[in-house]
Amino acid sequence: MSTRVLIADDSETILLLLRTRLEMEGYDVVTAADGVEVIEAINAGPAPDILLLDAMMPRKSGIDALRELRTAGIETPVLIVSAHQDEMDAGAPTDVEVSGYITKPIDFEQLFSRIAELTA
Amino acid sequence: MLTGLAVVGVARFLQQRQDFEDATARSYQVEIAARNRLASGTNPVASRTTIIAQQRKRQALRDDIGGETRDTALLVGAGLIAGLTGAALLFSGLIASMRRPLEELVEASGRLAAGDLNTRVKIGGLSETASLGAAFNEMAAELQRRAGERDQLETMKDEFVLTASHELRSPLTSVQGFAELLMLERDKLSPQQADTVEIILDNTRHLVRLLNDLLDLARSDAGRLTIKPSPTDVASLVEDPVRTMLSQTQAKHQSLTQEIQPALPHVSVDRDRIRQVLVNLLTNAHEYCPEKASIHVAATGNGDGVELSVSDNGPGMAADQLEHIFERFTRGDAGLTQHVGGTGLGLAISKSLVELHGGRLAVKSTPGEGSIFHVWLPALRETL
Repeated sequence: MSTRVLIADDSETILLLLRTRLEMEGYDVVTAADGVEVIEAINAGPAPDILLLDAMMPRKSGIDALRELRTAGIETPVLIVSAHQDEMDAGAPTDVEVSGYITKPIDFEQLFSRIAELTA
Repeated sequence: MLTGLAVVGVARFLQQRQDFEDATARSYQVEIAARNRLASGTNPVASRTTIIAQQRKRQALRDDIGGETRDTALLVGAGLIAGLTGAALLFSGLIASMRRPLEELVEASGRLAAGDLNTRVKIGGLSETASLGAAFNEMAAELQRRAGERDQLETMKDEFVLTASHELRSPLTSVQGFAELLMLERDKLSPQQADTVEIILDNTRHLVRLLNDLLDLARSDAGRLTIKPSPTDVASLVEDPVRTMLSQTQAKHQSLTQEIQPALPHVSVDRDRIRQVLVNLLTNAHEYCPEKASIHVAATGNGDGVELSVSDNGPGMAADQLEHIFERFTRGDAGLTQHVGGTGLGLAISKSLVELHGGRLAVKSTPGEGSIFHVWLPALRETL
């Protein structure tokens, strides 16, 4: 069974790009437009093997969604996508563990190897 | 006071002279009348007595006026001395009352020039020094206001660059991502279409590089350019960027070689940042050198540290160009830059980054022979 990736970004274009590239690599992709939809998708199931969340999204940010999941005892690996280093430095949560950070523009080779590592 | 005494003295002197002359004239008239009477033989004894009395009277008047003139001269002299003393006292008082505010102004100007924009002086003393003090305070307040405005503008500029960089990143991610997607299916494109997509990708990467450089520069200006150093092996530090650059240098038939002195001490560096510096130096060498040029990277021990050098046998630079090479938006010769894709920010950022590590970035170049950039980094101190 192929690896299931849940991706969340408030930009439809970025979601389309991520979905296309990930599907070309053989991943099963679920999308969400913000943190609220991430929680809904997790609750609806089936559970993803890894989450790829944009750090800044309206309604609920990727960081907040991650915090909520960890509080609920869900330990799925999470990669946070952020625009740049400063954002990661400023917004890096200290109370929850992030599996890794990916910066924009996305280096897809790096992304695929991180996903492979974390879902092995 | 002086004038008062002189006026009183002179007036009194003139009055005394007038009185003396009037009295003398009256005395002569009485004497002449007596002499006429004597000549006509009328009452000769009394007339003679009158003549002698009048001569004595005039002598007494002369004695008197002499004494009074002396008194007046003394009075005027005393007045003069008193006046001069008073004037001297007044003048020294005047000097003292001007000197303190002036000294304070000189001292305050020094502090203001040294950058203490809170400097103000106490306004007091004579009206002239008081207005000078007021003008000084007004100037200091204006300088402070302008400095405040400038700082605010600087902050706004930094914030703008950070925000712009953030906002531009998402669309750039899409452009680059979809262009890459097209290139993945290159065999489905015509050669012309493939070239077009290649151009889109090249320019997108250039924009991303420009954005990253601007962001680093804004961070540096805001004092937010930071490094996360960790003990690092020099060989891997050099090999990695060289490997990254190989395909580009090969495409231009340039030779890229490396030489790493064995048993070099470790360095404490932010690997990504030193990699960024080396890639920048290698990219410059690659872009400014013609085809078939040689680029060489060396790592050697130097004093308490390690020296990484990037040398080439390219066009080199003249002394006047070298002077400004680490300044922002400085780029090589216009004839060359037409096909060189740099931002003019790379070396300015590289210098900041090397200095953040406690190191130095230097350059030597000879026109027509080539250039060599030296990155010196302090060695990691052995800890027990």
